[in-house]
Amino acid sequence: MGDKNEIFSERLVKAVIWDIALQTFLATLLVFIIQIDVIHPLSWITSTLEDIISWKMLLNVILLGLVSFFQAYIYGKYYTSPVPKYFTRFSMFLNIYTTQNLVFTLLYALNGYFTLILYSSLAKSNFNVLKKMCEDSDGQCLNEQSLFLQLGGMWIGLFYFLSAHIFNKTVLTFPHIYQDKFQQMKLVITNVVATGFQRSMKPVGYFCVFYYFWGNKPRSVVSDVYSIYLEDPPLDNIINMLRSGIWIGLWFYASLFFISVNAMRAVFNIVLTEPMVFSIESDKNLTLCSALAQKSQFTGFLGAQDFRILAMTDQSRRLQIFTLSQPGGHPRNWNGLLENSLIIIKEFSNQLEAINSDSNVNGIKDVSKRNLLNESPKSSPIGYSGSLRNMASYPQALDIKNIQENREENTFVVGIKKEFNNFVQRLCQKPGINYFFGELTDTKLKFILLQAQPVMWTCEGLAHIVAYSLKEDKYGVVQNDLPIILSALINLKQNLEKLSKPGLIPRKQILNDSFAIRSKTAILSVVKRSIYKIVITFSKYIHEIPLDPDVQLAIQPFLVCKEP
Amino acid sequence: MSIFQGFPDLPGPNETAFCKINEVYCCGNVRHGNISAFTNTTNHHPKINVTRDLHHHRLSDENISMYINVEDKFLKKISSVWYNQGFLEALSIAADPSINTESKLLAVAATYALKVANAFSTFRYFLQPHLKDIGPKIVSKYSRTRSWGASSVKCMAWHPHATKIAIATADDGVRIYSSDVSFVSTLKCKSQSHVSSLSWRPYSASELAVGCEQGVIVWTVDPNSMFTKPSSSNAVILKRSGHSPVTDVSWSPNGDVLISCCGADTSMLVWDVAMETAVPLRRVAGGGIVFARWSLSSNKIFAATSSIIFRVWDTKSWTPERWCARGCRVVTACWGPNDVVLFAAKGEPVVYALRNIGLLNGAKDSKAQPVLDVTKVELVSGYTIGGPILDMCWDPSGKYLALLFEESHIIAVFCTTQMMMQLNVSPCCYISGIDNEVPSTIAFQQNFTEGACLTIAWSSGRVQHFPIVYTDLY
Repeated sequence: MGDKNEIFSERLVKAVIWDIALQTFLATLLVFIIQIDVIHPLSWITSTLEDIISWKMLLNVILLGLVSFFQAYIYGKYYTSPVPKYFTRFSMFLNIYTTQNLVFTLLYALNGYFTLILYSSLAKSNFNVLKKMCEDSDGQCLNEQSLFLQLGGMWIGLFYFLSAHIFNKTVLTFPHIYQDKFQQMKLVITNVVATGFQRSMKPVGYFCVFYYFWGNKPRSVVSDVYSIYLEDPPLDNIINMLRSGIWIGLWFYASLFFISVNAMRAVFNIVLTEPMVFSIESDKNLTLCSALAQKSQFTGFLGAQDFRILAMTDQSRRLQIFTLSQPGGHPRNWNGLLENSLIIIKEFSNQLEAINSDSNVNGIKDVSKRNLLNESPKSSPIGYSGSLRNMASYPQALDIKNIQENREENTFVVGIKKEFNNFVQRLCQKPGINYFFGELTDTKLKFILLQAQPVMWTCEGLAHIVAYSLKEDKYGVVQNDLPIILSALINLKQNLEKLSKPGLIPRKQILNDSFAIRSKTAILSVVKRSIYKIVITFSKYIHEIPLDPDVQLAIQPFLVCKEP
Repeated sequence: MSIFQGFPDLPGPNETAFCKINEVYCCGNVRHGNISAFTNTTNHHPKINVTRDLHHHRLSDENISMYINVEDKFLKKISSVWYNQGFLEALSIAADPSINTESKLLAVAATYALKVANAFSTFRYFLQPHLKDIGPKIVSKYSRTRSWGASSVKCMAWHPHATKIAIATADDGVRIYSSDVSFVSTLKCKSQSHVSSLSWRPYSASELAVGCEQGVIVWTVDPNSMFTKPSSSNAVILKRSGHSPVTDVSWSPNGDVLISCCGADTSMLVWDVAMETAVPLRRVAGGGIVFARWSLSSNKIFAATSSIIFRVWDTKSWTPERWCARGCRVVTACWGPNDVVLFAAKGEPVVYALRNIGLLNGAKDSKAQPVLDVTKVELVSGYTIGGPILDMCWDPSGKYLALLFEESHIIAVFCTTQMMMQLNVSPCCYISGIDNEVPSTIAFQQNFTEGACLTIAWSSGRVQHFPIVYTDLY
């Protein structure tokens, strides 16, 4: 267990350090630009330097450090735990109101507030105090612009949290090619700065509207508490607000906040997704095999990614896989890798199959409901439970055995359980209840597809290792297992294709999330490419490989290059 | 002594070369000769002839005058111009007093807006002068196809695993000819204009990337489908602002990523096509990236810029090695076995080879070796051959190298052998057209097992397959 999170936390710390460095650089740049004075360049530089080594800057760096650590904590929370499985509207709704989210909301609002105040103090504007000396009379008056800005800061922080974490699932996306960190930062910074100013427009607009309607309430509260009164024209008036120009200030600071937060996010992404080299055999370090075994965990991702890179580019480690263990002569490295990668592929395949069979059962039910006179379709769900559904071949003895086994298990307890499940399911079918408590198949599918990345890498990795084995594998370690690999890949391909077959899926199940749709095409394309890679490489010898008749049939279009 | 001395003579006046079989150069009569008399290796190859009447006319500047001018309402006119040609064109229409007679105020406003926009673009061109050319001009400037704008075949690409060829024609359609189906599919959609390059996805039967003005269009053509005109729903458009026109697309040999280059963009994009995301690869200096070539092992990428600089990227760490060509930009390059890359600079009759870049000896001052000098000479028959190189193709096995010249209309094919880190180039044969045909572009078939098969698109629209059959028995 220690190993599992060690890599992740190590990277988080690294990311925080990178982030602080980057944020300090950005803040320095800001100070430098704000104090621009072309006529007196010397005083410009000296005043900038003074500011940079002042306590404000130090405080800023400390705050940014705190924020980074806090962000790291959140990332840790989101990425180390497997994706939660909330598939009903009700549970998704409940999931929003966890204490964790409430605390985060509060923290993010504070984060926005502090960041805004710090940046405004760096910019030498006087918005961090609510009071000011009255101009017309003695005593202290309310500085409404500060109030506007500080409330705005909180709102921006809140808005960011809501849009980035609550309404959108945070998924760690691994880039398809990994450039050197510094290059990536360079690319990201220009992008983040450009989009920061755009992205902040919307929340600032919302806030201005909010302040127009309800701005008088916080104002009166603050004036009451400090017992100060307003001297300037109130800001919840469109003309006054426009004239004061404070909205430009808010927009500017909000943009800075977005730039800082997005830069932080980008830095975390860059540092966390760096490919890691695992050793094949090792007593001390984590091996590739055990990394792969941690499926959807972060280390599992890194393992799958490294498996692909190894298979494609790293000849020396490939050779290590193809060797036999010294006493015994077993291909231990290969067996371990194969076992773990097959588990990853099969598990994903099974999840898809579960979804497919769900929809099939529904479909059959619907049909039988609609025309009771007709016989229900012959194909029983058991027919689909085999690894392959082949229309052409006769039912095999294995399937018949399965049916018999199922019949034997049909005891009383099982019957009761079934009845209860049926009852629950029927209850869930009721319109109102179904809306809240019915399982959302598309959401389920979406969650499955979000985890498709390691499966893709594993498929590609397997295909490449197998393809290289033709030349590099002296002992024929890999070729023994060719039938299992091919049938696992074919099975996955067929399950994926069933997802998109028209007529099989009820309409509501059609995905409308672009990321999930793309993931689906991506994994289908990867699986097909992997099968092509194996089949084309072994095309001369494919008839010598003892394949199942179903698999043999399924690879025919790949052999003649006709599989789209 | 010129290398052209060692070539067999050109076929006689009424004859043309059909193939080369085991060192025998097979020529036949232009009218009655038939390639199947010599070899049956290309019997099932698609017979292709891209004639002008096959083309659908597209709206271009030349034939726009054929249409009768209809007087539209002013607002409608502006909005349609905006929709079709962009905001700046709409502004210039609004500012034009001869068209805009209705609203003087708008005309004045538009004039000033146009002035500001012009000032911006002047400043931009001052900073990045390579952006000045507009789309088709850039493509035609960097294209390896002879007279790209007027040629009936703009570019072509063989499928890596099947006998299937995609040909981009002058009407911007892409036609797919296959050995096992008799019909031809034509891929066409509205945004597919000024096609510059084609690339089939390896380890896939259906995906074809088309580089065009707007960006990259990735078509998925089901090989089992009987539709001759797949709808544009089978196409995915990958585009990014500033990355237009695309001058080259190439899939990685593993088929996992796609690289697109644009002569006006200093970064080349590495696409994950399914997720529609791109990672730009950029380094300072060099101007726009004109084309990129993957090495056969997919370990390296050769990227040529519009200046003398070219880079060799390592695909493991994604870091480049910078090189400078002597004199002019690199016009063409091709990879062979053992990570050897051949390239030629514009206007220079020399082919250079670059191998095991930097790794072998670790020397910083390693140089590219000239391996072939093709200075222009006059043959006995009166034709000239050689001179500056326009395009170059190396067959997948690395045994034959075909050269297309800028000033000569004869294609020269060379035999290449690699012995102990040394590349030997020896003469093989010439290929010339019938009558006044000029070769437009060439490509080697990727899955020809009997040797090598060079496909040539001639200016007449005829596409010739020239097999070089080589049996071990011989």
